[in-house]
Amino acid sequence: MMQNLPVLIIVTPLCSALLCLLLTLINKHFGRAVVVIATAASLVMSVIQLKSVIEDGVIHYAIGNYAPPFGIELVIDSLNALIIVVIALIGFMTVLFAENFGDKRPVVKGGANAILALLITGLLGMTSTGDMFNLYVFLEITSLSAYCLIALGGSKGVVSAYRYMLVGTVAATFYLLGIGILYSATGTLNMGDLATILNEGGFDEVMLVSMSFLIVAFGIKMALFPFHGWQPSAYTHAEPGTRPLITGVMGKIPALAMFRFFFCIYGTDFIYVRYLLVLLGIFSVLGMLYGSIMAMAQNDIRKMLAYSSVAQIGYISLGFAIGTPVALAGSFLHMMGHAFMKGGLFFCTGAIRYKFGTTDLNEFGRIYKKMPITSGLLVIASLSMIGIPPTAGFFSKWYLALGAAGRHEWIYIAVLVISSLLNAVYFFRLIEKVFIQSSKGLKDRWSKGELELPLTIILPVVVCFLAILGIGVFNVKLFDILMLTLEGVGL
Amino acid sequence: MLIVVITVPFIAFDVLPVIGDPESAPNTHVSDYYIEHAIDECNSPNMVTAVIVDYRAFDTMFETTVMFLAGIAVVLILANRPRKRIPSAGSYKRSMTVAGRAIYNTVNKDVMISAIEPVILVYAIYVLFHGEVSLGGGFQAGALIGMTYLLDTMAVRREKPLFRLNKFQSGAIAGLGPFIYAVTGIVSIIGGGLYLEYNKLPLDIHQAELHSIGITAVEVGVTIGVAGTIITILNALIERISFDDDND
Repeated sequence: MMQNLPVLIIVTPLCSALLCLLLTLINKHFGRAVVVIATAASLVMSVIQLKSVIEDGVIHYAIGNYAPPFGIELVIDSLNALIIVVIALIGFMTVLFAENFGDKRPVVKGGANAILALLITGLLGMTSTGDMFNLYVFLEITSLSAYCLIALGGSKGVVSAYRYMLVGTVAATFYLLGIGILYSATGTLNMGDLATILNEGGFDEVMLVSMSFLIVAFGIKMALFPFHGWQPSAYTHAEPGTRPLITGVMGKIPALAMFRFFFCIYGTDFIYVRYLLVLLGIFSVLGMLYGSIMAMAQNDIRKMLAYSSVAQIGYISLGFAIGTPVALAGSFLHMMGHAFMKGGLFFCTGAIRYKFGTTDLNEFGRIYKKMPITSGLLVIASLSMIGIPPTAGFFSKWYLALGAAGRHEWIYIAVLVISSLLNAVYFFRLIEKVFIQSSKGLKDRWSKGELELPLTIILPVVVCFLAILGIGVFNVKLFDILMLTLEGVGL
Repeated sequence: MLIVVITVPFIAFDVLPVIGDPESAPNTHVSDYYIEHAIDECNSPNMVTAVIVDYRAFDTMFETTVMFLAGIAVVLILANRPRKRIPSAGSYKRSMTVAGRAIYNTVNKDVMISAIEPVILVYAIYVLFHGEVSLGGGFQAGALIGMTYLLDTMAVRREKPLFRLNKFQSGAIAGLGPFIYAVTGIVSIIGGGLYLEYNKLPLDIHQAELHSIGITAVEVGVTIGVAGTIITILNALIERISFDDDND
């Protein structure tokens, strides 16, 4: 059973998603219960898998027992084992959280739960797979379920989902073009095999053309600066219950895939790699400034956080652009940290909306009195976004800066600092609204029980709070785990 | 400008092989292995089937899931907010009694389609169970079954239909198909193998037969999934009587 963990982590949420609608028709509680149990099981298995990867090294899992270039392979190294744990954890909490939002009809809710579970499946699969085409299939599942979840967020959601669908389809097509060109030149779809063939040399033109397609494809999917047009409205109007997963995790996994293509498949011997990395660096720097400035101009907290995501994705791709192992580790720390920060902030937004029915920043006056736990997470996540020491955000930026200094990229460090200061401007504005501004006398919609909110909302909030601090405090441990894979990768 | 940007790289860099070139990389790297081993390893006389549902079965599983996803997405987004006053499908048909009558005293479509339907279904079953030998199988069989339902709903007037599903029931059935597929893989894990390793299915027969059984089980899953999805989309569109662009 132990050896089958990589595939069971993906298949368990899949089975629950497929059965969800049927079970909901039998009894309105069964469907959701199955999804909750399956995602919890997936979380437990992912933790066991992480432990075994750290102890025994990389897992190669050949599906159907066919040797890699002929069958499909899942490859789990310490890097994606960590990311899988993050996805499973945020996915599980989102499933709990989503119960409180959305359509009240049980059958519709069952369908929405099924799609949420499929989104988790797609993200887990994209992270685990070691096969280019299999990655495309999971990308398709992820995108389709994301379109659907965004469209479920009301009439504005439908329009944003339609925009995202148009752009996302271009991205998927470009990805297919990219891997199609690679396949036509090498005849293989397996990533490891591909890396071996490409490193024999003589494929420079092919690699350059396909990489241009892949950068655009992943750029659109992760909402990197010039390709981010779909992102703010989609994040703003997505179904409120599922927003933490969409905003927190969905943008990061294409970044991981981009890392695989850049550093694991192409390698640094590729002669054009430096030009492409500089291009990526320009995109990230512009994105970090643009996203932060646009975020300052927003009054709706959801839109502010969405623009802030454009900037934060810039940090991740900046680490790739620097390209040294330390900077890459910084990128991945930021990927995990930001998943909890942005996921956590959207848990807070959802909680405030659930309790008071508003998302306008100017109405948040002194809500800390009524929602102490949620305000706690708001503060810690904001501080982490800015980069104040004991939190996750500080250490990821620290490693990014270390990496940049190692390659004498002073511009990157300057932009890192400027962007953090801009973050400080708009996140202190948020903190000011929550703690200092006079109360607007919002009407309390939920005042049952001892807690400020239902347990299914409190639990994700508390877990995100602990995770942000935990990633910060145990950053050396995480850095060591990441370095198991990243050592020797990169420039 | 855009056209220039897109076409110049293709002209400047000659990256794609000539169509049908037997020496090109895709035709020499893994294809040889499939040609030489497909029949022995998968017990499938058809190599395409062997690649789709045996060597790369994991991809096909998720492609089938995409069908299910598309089906419930249509139900949730397009048919989620029905208009207040919807004529039921039955009353809509009753108002069409004149249009549906056999005017020319020639072929009565109600009778003829009722007579053809069982034949289509038999053919679907044949395509399904012959699928592991001939091309594909599952998708076509599912499409045939779904289309039979569609034909029956749309073309035949029945006072009491034998068998009708609503959009959620058919969606649930569409999910059942990929579930059968996924469970086939889990059963092979229980039999001590890896995921979708058909020759470890816990049955006491020859290994080649196990591959046939595995492929057939998977094809049955695909069939149910495809048929369910087609019926789901049909149902969702029927319930959405009032479209935004026809206001007459």
